[in-house]
Amino acid sequence: MDESLIILIVLSLCLGAGCWLIFIWAVKKGEFEDVEKPKHRMLDDD
Amino acid sequence: MSMLSEQNCSHCGISFRWKALKENGDDGSHTVFCCRGCQGAYRMICSAGLGNFYLRSDRAVPTVTESAAAQYSETDLSHHIVPEGDLCRIDILVGGISCPSCVWLLERMLARVPGVEYVSLSYSGGIASLRFNPETVAPQEIFSVIASLGYTPRPYSADQSEKEARRERDDLLLRFGTALFLTMQLMAYSYALYAGYFQGIGGAMKQFLQYVSLLVTTPVVFYCGWPFIAGAWRSLKTAAPGMDLLIAMGALSAWSYSVWATFAGQETYYESAAFIVTFVLIGRLLELSVRRRAMSGISSLYAAAPQRATLVCSANHPHPHPNLPFMPQRVLEGEGTKSSKTVAFDSLPPFQGEGRGGDGVHHRTVNVDDIRPGDLLLVRQGERFPVDCLIVEGETEVDQSLATGESQPVLLACGAEVRSGCVNVAAPVTVQALRPAGQSYLMRVAALVQMAQAGKPKLQQLADRVSGWFVPAVIILALLVCAVRLYYSGDSAGAAVMSALSVILIACPCAMGLAVPAAVLAACSRSASLGIILRGGDVIERLASINSALFDKTGTVTCGLPGVMHFDTYAGYDDATVLQAAATVEEQAAHPLARAIVQYAAVNGYQPELCQNFRSVPGRGISGVLSDGKEVLCGSEAFLRESGIPVTIKYQPDSSATAVLLAIDGLLAGRFLLVDQLREGARRVVSELVAEQMELALISGDNQITVDRIAADIGLVSALGEMTPDQKLDHVTTLLQQGRHVLMVGDGVNDAPALAAATVSCSLSGSSDIALENADVIITGDDLSRIATAYRISRATMTIIRQNLAWAFVYNLIGIPLAMTGLLTPVYAAVAMTASSLLVSLNSLRLMRFKHHG
Repeated sequence: MDESLIILIVLSLCLGAGCWLIFIWAVKKGEFEDVEKPKHRMLDDD
Repeated sequence: MSMLSEQNCSHCGISFRWKALKENGDDGSHTVFCCRGCQGAYRMICSAGLGNFYLRSDRAVPTVTESAAAQYSETDLSHHIVPEGDLCRIDILVGGISCPSCVWLLERMLARVPGVEYVSLSYSGGIASLRFNPETVAPQEIFSVIASLGYTPRPYSADQSEKEARRERDDLLLRFGTALFLTMQLMAYSYALYAGYFQGIGGAMKQFLQYVSLLVTTPVVFYCGWPFIAGAWRSLKTAAPGMDLLIAMGALSAWSYSVWATFAGQETYYESAAFIVTFVLIGRLLELSVRRRAMSGISSLYAAAPQRATLVCSANHPHPHPNLPFMPQRVLEGEGTKSSKTVAFDSLPPFQGEGRGGDGVHHRTVNVDDIRPGDLLLVRQGERFPVDCLIVEGETEVDQSLATGESQPVLLACGAEVRSGCVNVAAPVTVQALRPAGQSYLMRVAALVQMAQAGKPKLQQLADRVSGWFVPAVIILALLVCAVRLYYSGDSAGAAVMSALSVILIACPCAMGLAVPAAVLAACSRSASLGIILRGGDVIERLASINSALFDKTGTVTCGLPGVMHFDTYAGYDDATVLQAAATVEEQAAHPLARAIVQYAAVNGYQPELCQNFRSVPGRGISGVLSDGKEVLCGSEAFLRESGIPVTIKYQPDSSATAVLLAIDGLLAGRFLLVDQLREGARRVVSELVAEQMELALISGDNQITVDRIAADIGLVSALGEMTPDQKLDHVTTLLQQGRHVLMVGDGVNDAPALAAATVSCSLSGSSDIALENADVIITGDDLSRIATAYRISRATMTIIRQNLAWAFVYNLIGIPLAMTGLLTPVYAAVAMTASSLLVSLNSLRLMRFKHHG
């Protein structure tokens, strides 16, 4: 019982860390570079 | 081509395999470069006597540390110093500014430096503008003052400021993302602990969960929460309590209490520490996105200015840079320019392409910065005018919307002055530069915008005003509790400190962190669905305080597009014939006046038919032949007269209306009077804002008669015409000095400085980039009355925010006494925290039901 809980906690930490690494990669790649522009693009005339 | 061996560029250090540019120095040194840019930079650095730069081991990462502010030598800084009379000006980009208090601190500290006459720091750009006496103080001293306060000073240049903002935003985003992941993990353990509190939990399991909680919370507090801790430290040093201090206190006390509790076998508060940091980081991210756009505003103006221009060098004018003072006549006559004075950079190999036109005329592409007054330039169709200039050859239509706000192209001939950034629509012209690029219209506007942004008074935000007295109160209370426990209850020192810590952590509720962002988020998303884009929370607060509103005319109150106001016929022609002819011929033209006439005909039921022999004279008019052989001419009065058609009619010259005349088979047949049409909702916004006790005025670059007519039309008493961009700015500043809170509504480049200075600025979706970038509020669609809605929604939001904050205090009122007596266990604290956060969120959601016309 206790062991399975510990394994699950460690597993969830690993999963979280994986997502976190992907997030860091996305920030470094500039995915969040400009979140303002896309929503204003519809306002452009062309 | 065989593969070359890898080499390292002597300037940038990059390794490359292509053919290197080699250079052998006098002293036998040997250098290689990957590109001309590096070669040029290397020469520049060495010629400035800074060759030692290349010997520095740390040059790959040029950073300024606190002690090394003097890294910028006098020569480095002298490039950034602009003399202004007896004084000098320097712009410094200051890194590490996180709140208006930082701005306040820096301004005060810098103003105390002897020799500094004037300091203004723009919060939006983080740029400090200083005027100082060069004899009393050296710029390095100013730099070290900034550095000693814990901020990073750098000499300002536009690119650097953008990089800085990007770095800061990425940094905050990483901190927030990390906090979010870890807090989500933490919640799982916390729920297990809550359950354990009620159902019972094994001691070992509880201990284990608390250790894991400690593991995930520590980075949240010390990495993600570092900006708050650093900010708190700064505010402690200056004894100016702010929001940062409250947050750092809350998070740190929750964390340290929990660490103690973990080892003492008590209940822990880890989730409080993590929550506080995470929620406030969301708020910071929102705030940063608001600050970011103001800077891109100025750079969008720079973008409108062309970087390259085509220089005309004739046989009489052999050298592009006569290196003479501005003497247009001499250049025109080809005198005095035969001297072959060379300028320094010509010794470098030419970077730009060279072309040869007919008649021994060279066309040469140059950088706009190299244009001198008096230079002759070729501006082709579709290009922007690079500098303020005079047309000396040819005539063309010019889109001057950048300068005047007027969207219709204007016909300009020899001798006409054109401002930089305007677009040449019709034909190539030769122009003579009047001013260098740096002093031309666009750059002057950019300077005005920047000045207006920096000079803007900062309204301290509600949350900061509240924490200004709340933080000291909490600290005093905590100290009191500690003292009472020690001396009256006779507790141990440890227990007394712990109870003081628990007071602080309860006093910093999530509801407080959520009170403003939740309401702002709800208001922003509701207004977006109503066609109003609000740029962030501070906009709402400022908008709610407005008591004056200024409207630009062209493009704002009016559509900027002409519409037919009046139509009549002559020489016995009936409406049907004339409208049919007009529709058919004008259909072929792209001019806005032509479109308006076609539309007017279509509304009356006349569709264009086949048109032959269509001909267009730019700025004058058009002609064509109908299918039944009738010859139609359509255009200005002058165009018809030139074509030999007698124009006998007399009409009241009304400067606000444009007349388009139409002739059929050589006889005047009809006349259209066109005016700029009012925008939808223009009257409504005026009446709604007047009902809110607001002072309104129309402010325009157009002539006074037109402005008066439009003002009367929409029910405005006050109308100011013939205003230049700086006069508009002056008017706004005057109002601000009178203590009024000004809303400026405008759309053009000429409104940009006034928009930047106003308390709140508003633009419509079709506006110029610079106006949009400087706008706090953007109205999508054509309905101007949404401005009144935006005002009402901001008032409603402020009410909600006040309710939220009031609730957060009620929570404190109940929570603090409980914490003082030690009754508040983590489970109840968590329940109370969740309940109050939920209440605040639900209260904020009420904004989602806001209606357009209330």
